[in-house]
Formats: sequence, structure tokens, C-alpha cells
Amino acid sequence: MSKKGLFTVGKVTLVLVVAVLLQILLVSRISVLGVTADLFLILTVVIAVSRGSLEGAIFGFVAGLVADISYLGPLGVRALIYVLTGYFVGMFVSRFMVTGPWGVLMLAGASSFVAQFVFGLFQFIIGPRAAFFTVVGTQMLPGAVLDGLVAVPIYVGLVRLRLIPASHLEPSPSVGGGE
Amino acid sequence: MPRNKVVWRRAVFVVLIIASLAILTVSFRETESGPVHAIQQAGLSVLSPLQTWGARAAEPFQDGYQWIRTIWSAHQRAEELQAELQALQGEAVKLKEQAEENQRLKSLLDLKEKGTFPEGTDFEVARVTGKSPTRWEAWVQIDKGSADGIRVDLPVVGATPVAGESLAGKGLVGKVVAVTAHTAQVQLITDSESSVAAKIQGPRAEGIVEGSVSGRLIMDYVDRDLAVEPKLVIVTSGFGGIYPAAIPIGVVANVGEEDVNIYKEIEVAPFIDFRVLEEVMVLILPAEEVSVGGQPAAE
Repeated sequence: MSKKGLFTVGKVTLVLVVAVLLQILLVSRISVLGVTADLFLILTVVIAVSRGSLEGAIFGFVAGLVADISYLGPLGVRALIYVLTGYFVGMFVSRFMVTGPWGVLMLAGASSFVAQFVFGLFQFIIGPRAAFFTVVGTQMLPGAVLDGLVAVPIYVGLVRLRLIPASHLEPSPSVGGGE
Repeated sequence: MPRNKVVWRRAVFVVLIIASLAILTVSFRETESGPVHAIQQAGLSVLSPLQTWGARAAEPFQDGYQWIRTIWSAHQRAEELQAELQALQGEAVKLKEQAEENQRLKSLLDLKEKGTFPEGTDFEVARVTGKSPTRWEAWVQIDKGSADGIRVDLPVVGATPVAGESLAGKGLVGKVVAVTAHTAQVQLITDSESSVAAKIQGPRAEGIVEGSVSGRLIMDYVDRDLAVEPKLVIVTSGFGGIYPAAIPIGVVANVGEEDVNIYKEIEVAPFIDFRVLEEVMVLILPAEEVSVGGQPAAE
């Protein structure tokens, strides 16, 4: 790996470490309308938007494992969900040229909802038969809105700090780009 | 994008998916002492001090946040309680009004049951809907009329809040002087044109209770020779053809005698407080009780 590549990995690792600290120390303790933001997911989306689907998927995998350890959940569930999130967000950005704060807001909100939905389904299948659609209304939708709103300042802040680029897309994007 | 890069990307993605599924599968299949659980426990042992420290560090901030939230919710709660209080106050006023109305109607019922009214007398309870606007006349308007059997010269009794088990608060109000289909006008006994044949219980002194513009109730034409003491009860005598006998009017408040007057002039304190009269009861007497030769008797 080149020096630049190592530097990039170092920066992304730093982002992940800070995210773990922030999530554990701060974010998980701030509840808005009964839900808390998921920094691991938000950063997976932000990394996928700024660096692409591969980096998004790798970051999602590591962040998901850390989240599974932190929340004492079945190891691998969030890893799987965040890998899918990071990969498909990156693909979506490449294909539809979605960038910028508004794009991050929409992608983070939508990804958060889908991720929570899948995780909820998983819990519903293995766990007690709770009122799934009540959770959709009271937990997933507010959570998605919150994640979307929190994602924007994080994205803008990381771009300003030059920890991530604004977008991984080429300066002169070709229509229907992607793979 | 170069093809080998795409392949590499897809390959990494597939590997990550397989790794996630593998970890997940092992996590479910292995025992609590298995390697994946051991990794999770190790990771948690690294993170848990952070969580403990974070909890301690965040405590003052959480307390502050909770304090602000409590203040905000207390403010909202105060507003809600204020609205609730206003609604309850309105309800309480309404209930008090209903309770007082019940009490007054109960008093009227009491009067109806304990009073000695002529055989065949019907009773019509009516609500006072208007009062005379000046002191020159004293009347009230009620919400019952000829459609309810009300006719001119029927006596009217009432009960006011001071009513208790005694006669106080229950007594003669006046008589009907005008009737429409659904309303009637009742001349009060305090009207300056009103005169009621009455007698004083005890000495049995008879006289005429008259109203006045000042609102005072005077019993005139009482024989000077008869001893009349304050607090004696005055009731209708039944003479005159309008008011049946023994309807309480009031008590002797003051006895006046003038050398030039051959009668005592007695000030009467009425049982009814006419200022707060809200319901009355019209005594619908049998027709022969009230008319003499088909005409209303003058009293």
C-alpha cells in the first residue's frame, strides 16, 4: 500500500475511533424523541458518499462489528447490515451522482430506515413477537430523521477538516457513471 | 472505471458479506465460551471502562439536560394544569349552580309537601326570567304561561337560598297579574300596589300586608289593642279569595304605633329574599277557589 493509501486508512481509522468514543460517551446518552443517533451507520454513509462503495463497505463492516460488541448484540448482524449499507450507498452515489449535504441527509435518512428495518426484522424473527409496526412508527422513522439530520453536520465537518473528500466522483462526472 | 478495480471491489464486498454471515453463524452456533464470544467479551472489556467513564462524565450534563427538560415539561404541565383548572373551575361553578338550584327546588318541594294548600291544588314550578327594571313596581316574569295552566290571580310561592328546615326562605311571593301562552308576570307582595290579607300567629291579629316603593313590607289595619311582639310569624289569612290561608309571609320585625292612628303599623320581614329569587311555584288552585262569580277576586 502506498504512503497515501496508508494515510487515508489512518484518517478513516481515526474517524472510526472518534466515532466509537463519541457514540459511547456522548451520542448514546442523548435521546431525541426517544431515539438516539447511530454514528456508526451515519459514518458508514458519509464514508460511502465521500470515498465510494468499497471503502463504505469496509468501514461498515468494521463499524458494524464495533457496534455489535458495544451493544452486546449477536456479533455480525450490524456488520452485515452496515456492509450492505456502505456498499449500496456508494453504488447509488456513483450511479446517480448524489453528493452534497442534501444528498447526505437523504441517503443517511433512507439508509438508517432500511438498516433499522432489516435489524428490526432480524430481532423480530429471533426475538419475542413485539409490535413490529409500532416500532416502525415510534423508533425507526424518528431514528431515520435524526440520523439524516445528524449526518449533515458530520459530513460537512469532516470535509472541512479534510478527513474525507467531499465526493469520490470524478470532477467531470459522466452521466450514468458507476461501475 | 477499470475492470480489475470493479472485480476487486465486488470481491471485497462478497468477502465482507461472507465474513459477516460467518461471524453471525458462528456467533449463534457456538457456546458462550466459543472464540467469537471471547472476541466480543474482550472487545467489551475494552469498551466497558469507556462506557463507565462516559457515564460518570456525562452525569452532570445529563442532570443539566434533565433539569432543563424538567423545567420545560413543568412549564408545559403548568400550562396544561392551568387550562384544566379553568375547565374544572367552570365545572365547579356549574355544579354549584346546579346544587343551589336543586336546593331551591327541594325547598319548593318541601313547601309543597308541608304547606296546607286547598284540596286539588296543582303546582307549577317556573323559572324567573325577568325582573322589574325600576323600584316603582315590583314584579318578576316567569317562563310558564297559560299553556301550562297559569292564569291571572293565581298565588305564587317561592324559596330562596336562606331556606332551611324552618319556614325562613319559603313563603309567599305574590300573584300572577298577566299571562301569555308561555310567560306570566307575577306581582310581588312588595309591590306598592300589592295587598294581602294576613294574620299574625299567636294573637291572631288580622290586617293587610302591603308593599311599598321603598321595598318595605308593612302590615296595616291591625287592631291597636292586640299585643304584637317582634318575631311573630305572619301568614295569609285566606280572606280576599286569592291567597289560600296559612301561607307564610314573614315575621314581625318592628311594631309602630302613632297616637293619631287607630291601627298598629307593623313592619314585616319577609321570608323570601326577593333579590335572589330564581324559581317560584305557582299554586294552580281549583277554579272555584279563586273566582267569585266568575271574576277574579280583588285583593
